[in-house]
Amino acid sequence: MSTRVLTIAVFAIVIAAMFALEFLARRPGSRIPTVGQWLGYLMRPRIGRVLIFLGWWWLGWHYFAR
Amino acid sequence: MATDDVPRRHDRPGRQRNRVRTAAIGIVLAGYAWAAGSTAPFSATALVFVLIPGVVLASIAYWWPPERIPPPDKLDITGVSYWAICVAALFEWEASAYKDNSLPWHPSLTDLINPLLGPHPIKSAAFLLWVLVGWALVRR
Repeated sequence: MSTRVLTIAVFAIVIAAMFALEFLARRPGSRIPTVGQWLGYLMRPRIGRVLIFLGWWWLGWHYFAR
Repeated sequence: MATDDVPRRHDRPGRQRNRVRTAAIGIVLAGYAWAAGSTAPFSATALVFVLIPGVVLASIAYWWPPERIPPPDKLDITGVSYWAICVAALFEWEASAYKDNSLPWHPSLTDLINPLLGPHPIKSAAFLLWVLVGWALVRR
């Protein structure tokens, strides 16, 4: 296995794990929060809200304007 | 009043108006995303297309905040730790690629995603998804 394939495989595994967590979080009675829940929790204080929003905008700039 | 006189749920004018408004917003957003997907990278036009949703959503969040989905009062620490591990792993792997100057043998996530965003329809769909995620954040 080349290093490039290994790098891509690790990215794929981590992203797949995140999808799996979201799936598990949506089961009834799950202790795992969904993405929306933990983002909502982080966005309770105004600074958290601003930082998460800036992070979202940065992603758009990074992928669509550059 | 006879039951026939009561408008059924799907016939209510308010609901129908909402549906028309949602459809209109959807068409405008799809058109905007399609136009944004056609812009050249590193151009001023591309920057403006990304700036506008940011300014619009920030304005809505600040001056006309919609009804927000209430966040949980507390989170289960074990459940959060699973997410923390995944997010930390993603950032670490991305940072190590960045530190290595994104060489072909250790590409960054950006290097892997950018070619996928090449075709116009896919770039437009990704842009639309980005705007919808922004709206979901405004509601949180």
